Amino acid sequence: MARDRKERKKQPRVIIFTTPTCSFCRAAKTYLRQRGIRFREVDVSRDQAALRDMVRRSGQQGVPVIQIGNKIVVGFDRPKIDRLLGLG
Amino acid sequence: MEIKPLITGFEPQEKPAGEEGEKPAVYDVIILGAGPAGLTAAIYTGRARLKTLVIAGSLPGGEPSNTDLVENYPGFPEGIAGMDLAQRFQSQAERFGAEIVLDEATAVDFSQEPFTIHTYSTVYKGRTVIIATGAEPRRLGVPGEDKFFGRGVSACATCDGFFYKDKRVVVVGGGDSAIAEGLFLTKFASEVVVIHRRDQLRATQILQERAFANPKMRFVWDSVVEEILGDEMVTGVRVRNVKTGETSVIETDGVFVYIGMVPKTKLFVGQLKLDEQGYIVADRHQRTNVPGVFAAGDVQDPNYRQIVIAAGTGAVAAMEAERFLSEYWQTHHAEAKPS
Repeated sequence: MARDRKERKKQPRVIIFTTPTCSFCRAAKTYLRQRGIRFREVDVSRDQAALRDMVRRSGQQGVPVIQIGNKIVVGFDRPKIDRLLGLG
Repeated sequence: MEIKPLITGFEPQEKPAGEEGEKPAVYDVIILGAGPAGLTAAIYTGRARLKTLVIAGSLPGGEPSNTDLVENYPGFPEGIAGMDLAQRFQSQAERFGAEIVLDEATAVDFSQEPFTIHTYSTVYKGRTVIIATGAEPRRLGVPGEDKFFGRGVSACATCDGFFYKDKRVVVVGGGDSAIAEGLFLTKFASEVVVIHRRDQLRATQILQERAFANPKMRFVWDSVVEEILGDEMVTGVRVRNVKTGETSVIETDGVFVYIGMVPKTKLFVGQLKLDEQGYIVADRHQRTNVPGVFAAGDVQDPNYRQIVIAAGTGAVAAMEAERFLSEYWQTHHAEAKPS
């Protein structure tokens, strides 16, 4: 994946909570990569503490959950992701 | 996943330029949807050397990518993970030059050629369009469903099943998806209760055999879910027996809904002929009522909803789009025919 460093602005911290069999997670990650967004992935199927943390923070019992700054996006909700990251 | 090429000496086409500010190119074929139908169409149009764009929509890979294991697609005698199969479709389409964008159509205009597709990011123009937007899970439409969606109510066991480790879940429905995903959930959940409105399953026989043999699965027949109960979290569902009218509460931590699909055709209302259920009406050549616009896969199939059939109709749509284009170039724009 080619990354265009010139295009990069300061972006909020992005964490995506996933499980390995979740297709929407994969779609969301592909999208973030395509847009040159740096993110940290947390596989909640391997990390019980992270799982509890995610459920507590988002109230969600499903993935993907994407934390952008201090905002939570539930699912691969592209318009909301774009808005929070200032993507056109 | 890397797919080994079966044919050597085949160079993929260069991807069309899409720089910002550039006048948008006109594609030969724009495919809406990247499930089996859309990606098969892209394999065919790519091999026909047609300039092909796939607008993937919200779920690249389509419904199979939400399926744990696909056992009825020929060529995979041991079965294949739905997500892997979807990835293979995509790799194959890309190999033959299809450009796949993770974007979603927001409006279409089929009233004049070339056809116009508006998306979140931009506007695309195509001489032909193949609609393969598929279908999405039907919702129950009962109190509590919206409140708890994503927080105890799900339509995707492969996505959310993990959250129900050692918990009780119910699966609503009795078809292939309900039973296959119910079986998948037994990997995590302590108990899977299938709630079905009839007194027998509609799922294919082999799935029924597995379900009845699975000690974690239990069946509640002739019953429909009337309400999803809970305060912060789901605690149960209220079900009504359709024969006796009696209602009862089943305690549960999660609800997985597999009661069929609804076609994703909202964008086409008023532009294409749809049937009463909202499916696109297509003929045996996958043609819609608008010449140059084709439909393939679940978006035009209320009956079968199989990967192999979606792929088949995708191939037909692509071959018809190719024929439409060659006639188009011959009769209208012979001078503009690309080399």
